[in-house]
Amino acid sequence: MNALQRRLPAAVRPHATFIGVMPYLTLLVGILVLVLLPVFSSYEVTSFNVYDILQNFGVLGLVTLALGLTMIAGEFDLSVASMYSLGGMIAVKTGAAEPAVGFLVALSVGAFVGLVQGGVVSKLRINSMPVTLGGFLTLLGISHVISNSKSVAFSNYDIGATLDAPIAEIFSWRSIIALGVFALAAFAMSFTRLGRDVRAVGGDRRAARTAGVPVDRILIGVFVVAGVVAALPGVLIDYSLSAATPDIGGVDALIFAATAALLGGVGLSGGIGSPVGIAAGILSLSILQELLVILASPDYVSDLITGGLLLFVTMTVAPELGQWWRTVGLGGGFRRPIPVAEPAAGPAPGD
Amino acid sequence: MAQAPAPAPPAAGGLALVIERTLGSRAALATRERLSWLLVNALPIVAFAAIVVVGWLTTDGFATWANVKAILAAVAFVGIIAIGTTVIMLSGNLFSLSLGVTAAVTAIFFMYALAWGLFAAIVLTVGLGLLIVALQGAMVGAWGANPIIVTIGAGGLQTGVALWVTGGESILPRGSSDAYQALARPLGGVPVGIYFFFGVAVAVELMLRRTRFGREIYLLGENRAAARAAALSVTRITTAAFALAGLCTGLAGVLIGAASANGSLLLEGQYTYDAIAAALVGGNAVTGGRGSVSRTVVGAILIATISDLLLLRGYSTGIQLLVKGLIVFVVVVLMNLERGRSR
Repeated sequence: MNALQRRLPAAVRPHATFIGVMPYLTLLVGILVLVLLPVFSSYEVTSFNVYDILQNFGVLGLVTLALGLTMIAGEFDLSVASMYSLGGMIAVKTGAAEPAVGFLVALSVGAFVGLVQGGVVSKLRINSMPVTLGGFLTLLGISHVISNSKSVAFSNYDIGATLDAPIAEIFSWRSIIALGVFALAAFAMSFTRLGRDVRAVGGDRRAARTAGVPVDRILIGVFVVAGVVAALPGVLIDYSLSAATPDIGGVDALIFAATAALLGGVGLSGGIGSPVGIAAGILSLSILQELLVILASPDYVSDLITGGLLLFVTMTVAPELGQWWRTVGLGGGFRRPIPVAEPAAGPAPGD
Repeated sequence: MAQAPAPAPPAAGGLALVIERTLGSRAALATRERLSWLLVNALPIVAFAAIVVVGWLTTDGFATWANVKAILAAVAFVGIIAIGTTVIMLSGNLFSLSLGVTAAVTAIFFMYALAWGLFAAIVLTVGLGLLIVALQGAMVGAWGANPIIVTIGAGGLQTGVALWVTGGESILPRGSSDAYQALARPLGGVPVGIYFFFGVAVAVELMLRRTRFGREIYLLGENRAAARAAALSVTRITTAAFALAGLCTGLAGVLIGAASANGSLLLEGQYTYDAIAAALVGGNAVTGGRGSVSRTVVGAILIATISDLLLLRGYSTGIQLLVKGLIVFVVVVLMNLERGRSR
């Protein structure tokens, strides 16, 4: 029984179970399709496809992690999608002589942006969506301004080659860095007090405050981490490509990140989700996109599928779906059991 | 925090915190009320005046009739979509992040639909806009789905469908008649769109103030739980509010399509963000329940003038996004400071 189930009445538990296993189920289906595709058709799946999926994980995966962490804390940071492009742009502009400098400057800017937005959201208790929409547009604007809306070349090709060189056929430094960040996040969220505090702040902010959780500090911290984790993939991809463009971020990255995070079982009401689930969500979505590449589908198919998928997962995690389902009389598994069948008194088993 | 002895003032300015500390609570109260009144009602107008003066003094070609007409045309497009955004905002569903896409998609459809005659094309296009956005509203209302995410997803879906149908090409008007150009010509010296804009503004404002449906939107936005307790159907009101936004966006699509005499996804421009910025800068509460169309009208004029001034001064996409982003950020923070202390 997962955290979401414990908080919900018995009638909607099947729904919660579904949300809990959804990330792993979709990942399993994705892997099965990937494995079975060559068996039942003439399309070939090679280790390069797996490498490609992990490369994508190393970029948009981190953007998703950044968004997902703010969602677990009960907020929604739209600005990660443009921090991603700004991070890369800053690194390319400042790291020409020494890539490490660019890397550090970009991550510091990410932290600063997180500090400002997190400070405003936590201290003034404003809904984070309008605040971060402002951030989203501002950061996108800044990356257009400093690049003059053009592609900016990065003269250090070595670092890109190093980041992208295949390791054990399917990995690269880029994907290993991303996996490391995920491992770190997963550890912090599962085994430290910090992780529990973040979940508490997302699940029930008032209760968390009463219980002595430093809510404001946790919120600011989450936004700072999100800013840094969102700037990192920008640096990685732009070093890889030896160029930065302001167009890599924006709404498309946002659609990917939101879809992957929701597929990964992150709840929109806060407190629900884990980095491992988010990773499963991203891998599922990356596998799906790789399949579209393998099948050589036209571009619009990807738009249709991601947009449709986002609507679908938003629907499945919508808080009042179960209720609506019962009202329209299509109850099925979601219908409240007949009272006789319920235990007469005491907590339900497993509570 | 100093408490008012009498019932709390309707609004309290966070800016006045310092004044309150120095002057004591009673004097501060009056100042605070005045400050927050200024903040909400006069600030957009003062800002507009400042921009006009700055533009006049520093920018060639700003204070010309041709430019005023260009601004008015932009006001019509941004403003009509912003009225839609306002209705969504008032109903407590924040805003849509894909009305610009819908405007472009309906403009594309308008080009196709012109084959059936101008009147049918307008009706069908507005109907399409209404349908697209109402469906999103139904998801939000019936299932409590998050409006921002639903509208982002729906935007992706619309982009996909539009690319599929058009093959990524720009669509020229179908049909032999070019009667649609009447929608792009000036009428009485100003762009036709501006009449539609004020027409829609008056109609929606009257509807919000005078009809039951309008009051229901305010109630839902102010207090969702109370609306539910009053046995109002959240699903119906939310769907209707989004439908109204879709109707506005479809109409904007018609005007934008007619003005550019072609339909493509590029027409999206920054309408989504401009509309949100206009609704916010006019002084509508982003969390719903407070605001009016007349505020949005002021906001739309302000945003269109700022965009125009930036464009005249040669600032492209980047600065435009940057300025609008900062406007959204600052206005959301200011409005919250103003409201926050009255609670």
